[in-house]
Amino acid sequence: MFSVRIWGDRGSMPVPGPDTVVFGGNTSCLEIRCGSRIIIIDAGSGIRGLGDWLVRNELKNGPISADIFITHTHWDHIMGFPMFTPIYVPGTKLCIRGPVNFEDETLEQIIGAQLSYRYWPVRQDELAAKIRYESLKETELDLGDGVIMRTKYLNHPVLCLGYRVEYEGKAFVTAYDHEPFINLFPTDPADPDYDAAVAEEGDKAAHEENARIEAFYKDADLLIHDTQYTAKEYKAGKQGWGHSSYEYAINAANRAGVKRLLLFHHDPNRTDTELQELELFYQGKLRGKTAMSVDVSREGMLLNLA
Amino acid sequence: MGSSESIRKVKDYIGTMPSLPTTVSKVLEVCNSPKTSPVDLDRVISLDPVLMGKVLKLINSAYYGLQNQVTSLVRAIIMLGVNTVKNLALSTAVLDRFADKAGFRALNMEGFWRHSLCVGVVAKLIAKKKGVEAQRLDEFFAAGLLHDIGKIPMNNVLSDEYVRSMGLADRERIPLYLAERRSMDLDHAEAGAMIADAWHLDGPIADAIRFHHALHLYEGKNEDIVLAVIVADYYANRESIGFSGCLYPEKLPPELFERLGVPKVWLEDIDAAVTAEIEKASVFLKIRN
Repeated sequence: MFSVRIWGDRGSMPVPGPDTVVFGGNTSCLEIRCGSRIIIIDAGSGIRGLGDWLVRNELKNGPISADIFITHTHWDHIMGFPMFTPIYVPGTKLCIRGPVNFEDETLEQIIGAQLSYRYWPVRQDELAAKIRYESLKETELDLGDGVIMRTKYLNHPVLCLGYRVEYEGKAFVTAYDHEPFINLFPTDPADPDYDAAVAEEGDKAAHEENARIEAFYKDADLLIHDTQYTAKEYKAGKQGWGHSSYEYAINAANRAGVKRLLLFHHDPNRTDTELQELELFYQGKLRGKTAMSVDVSREGMLLNLA
Repeated sequence: MGSSESIRKVKDYIGTMPSLPTTVSKVLEVCNSPKTSPVDLDRVISLDPVLMGKVLKLINSAYYGLQNQVTSLVRAIIMLGVNTVKNLALSTAVLDRFADKAGFRALNMEGFWRHSLCVGVVAKLIAKKKGVEAQRLDEFFAAGLLHDIGKIPMNNVLSDEYVRSMGLADRERIPLYLAERRSMDLDHAEAGAMIADAWHLDGPIADAIRFHHALHLYEGKNEDIVLAVIVADYYANRESIGFSGCLYPEKLPPELFERLGVPKVWLEDIDAAVTAEIEKASVFLKIRN
């Protein structure tokens, strides 16, 4: 078995309410099953539902053991951790990995700070679970049981990793939160700061870094990609915020030979109606033009890879 | 100011110290702006090939563990963002002044460096506690880190006199700067001021170097940073973090904490944060070299 279940797909902030019933209002959390292994990507508010489900259905078979990978430490990706019930259950074993900037505290301090009296009634020291923290870089990890995890730095205002899980000949990749690299240097010769060599190097660097990201999800059986904005919204003041447009994600995934693309990290203001319209619009545009299937992520969705 | 002989020796030595071609003052100026543009950042670093080399070395170090070598600054800025590269450049430019072991004869370089780092870290923590705006935090750090820089030329060209003044301070249980004045007619704050002049450093960092033992003479507008460095210096000496050569620092009058706006008891709460920050900076320095 190789499957991915979506427990949260919203960006920035949980948005419960009548407008987010279909696609969900919880922030990012993915449950990946590779045989008996449980891998969780991100501890957004969606991890609460996953934790309760595990305690209700799997605890009877023995203590819960899971690898949690955090894409980055922005709040919407870690905020659910204090409500992940297995941390209060004796016998639970967790290994939490993720990237941290050098000027920040350790991963344990950043995630654990949420479990201090000013924010939460239980302190980290009082948790029943055994939790190990590891700071992560661009690397390849053999998680055992035939599961390989590769990581790649993405383009976001803090260090942020994309994850590529390979198991039984299939590949599942995440590319969020991510914005395509752009040349930050002036390219217009009329600009007083224009420098031809710098402009050229900037273009080349942005192009090559984007190609490396595409190589990271090349031929993926399933890619979950950041699509917080439409191209129009992105151009109207969202550059540099660390998120992609639908258009960019679809084109890049298609170039990389991705088989199935899931559009993810919905803007908190995006309603069910709007997401449905966007899904139909892009599916319509792609019909007959590519073998890649494209859907908008829905909370609760189960995707089987093998 | 001290005897003409001491001053001449120190001045000659300062003339041979690596100057700050674009570094510290220029990097500080560019980096302290909250709106540093990629173009400004690229220019200020590129002007100094040594700094550029070190920034690239750090980017390619095990710290980031990048799979592909980054060989251009333009690419580094596009990949890691203006803020990350800015912080790397700032830390490299400032900390670099302390890597030269040759300048140390009387004082132990490791102890001196640790003391300076501790004062930088604590000055920055004080600034945070006071709610100083984010873009000025590095200025507090740099002021603390550089406050004793005058000891470098004195150790080098007046090393015998320096050992004597440390002995004098020890015997008479007086602060080192007073013993320096008695043995050499020149103290390290005055020597530091000469370096600040030579490097065209002015403003808050120069004020902290010049007045950290002479607050009563200070009339400028950067009292907050001078006070922060004085209190941070007191903390580093009290907790024996590193060693600056001074065993009997002056006690601080209670009203000084009132002027700073940070209660003295707060210093009891920062031990863990200080240790962690110093460790991080040490790791950073090891990577850098």
